[in-house]
Amino acid sequence: MFYLSLMEHTLRLPPHILHLPLDEALKAELEALFLDKVIAKLGLCISVYDIRSIKGGFVFPGDGASTYTVEFRLIVFRPFIGEVIVAKLKESDANGLRLSLGFFDDIYIPVDQLPNPSRFEAVPNTRNQGRWIWDFGEGEEQSDEPRFVIDGADPIKFRVQSVIYHSIPLEQPENSKPFAPMVITGTLNHDGLGPVSWWEEAEMIEEES
Amino acid sequence: MKIKEANAGALTNFEVLDFLRSRGASKDPTRVIVSIAPSEFKVYDYLLESPVCNQTKEQVNEFLTRCKSYKLAKAEVLNIINLRPSALVEIDPIIEESEKRFGEKLEELVSLVVEVLPEPPKQNVPEEENNEAKEDTVDEKGTDEDKTETTNLEQMDEDQTEQNEDGNRMEVS
Repeated sequence: MFYLSLMEHTLRLPPHILHLPLDEALKAELEALFLDKVIAKLGLCISVYDIRSIKGGFVFPGDGASTYTVEFRLIVFRPFIGEVIVAKLKESDANGLRLSLGFFDDIYIPVDQLPNPSRFEAVPNTRNQGRWIWDFGEGEEQSDEPRFVIDGADPIKFRVQSVIYHSIPLEQPENSKPFAPMVITGTLNHDGLGPVSWWEEAEMIEEES
Repeated sequence: MKIKEANAGALTNFEVLDFLRSRGASKDPTRVIVSIAPSEFKVYDYLLESPVCNQTKEQVNEFLTRCKSYKLAKAEVLNIINLRPSALVEIDPIIEESEKRFGEKLEELVSLVVEVLPEPPKQNVPEEENNEAKEDTVDEKGTDEDKTETTNLEQMDEDQTEQNEDGNRMEVS
């Protein structure tokens, strides 16, 4: 889920933090610049791991601040394809599910990646929202509460299908969703994936039989 | 900005948690004092709820040496350490072609995982004695706004109410 990336960046140290020790000041500047931002092909930057080297300290003419070239390592969140991650349900509508990790929200499970067969039960009076139910092998039960429901009760395991980095759009129409620079698409269509409670029941059944 | 090495090493969730802890992250609500950004706290909260919150370096190293005989791919080892599968059905989506490569030995691998790595915090066991290990903010917060989680000073109160609700949940399930 997390990788270290070695980066080099040239940055200007504003004069108001010159009283701090150099590496602390540089670290604060780097964090303000990189933290919680997505770098294309690299992922979401979580933290500055360490600073490897600091070079420079030049003052350009006409400038009151010094400029440094810093080499440092970042912790980035970049799931690889095939990784299994536990996340919580954020939204559920007719197009599929949206999951959240707390620090990262743009995880989508499209309809065709839900376990097969699944059906959608819309909540009345809400536009497009509802919950998904997996019809696994039950032919006879009609009025019982279905066993395999995806509601927000427990965390959901999914496997990463793809990670797409969208390019920044020039213009966005009004009322559209905020731009998501990094979108993870996942699948639930495998044994062991889906809400954790589904498979705890399966374990119990195995032990009984 | 130049990317010198996009991949300078993979980190397990445990290593990230350890790093955040060494920077001073902790669970108590007085988080304004430490030098950790709110976004880093969100990662810390997520990691605390996952199976890695009880792991130690020795356990991870022991697992790495002992699983060498199974010839797992690096991605699979990483997945296993992060998820701590305790049943065959949990390890199935992680390992490709499990039947061809392992067959019977898959159960041995599962029992190795269960033996070496500590259990994740259970969600519906009200008699946990160690409150540090149990951080069950999963259930009720599924639909909450993420913004309220890190700046929420009533986090301790919420934990208490969740313990009660977990007790109820156990009877239902």
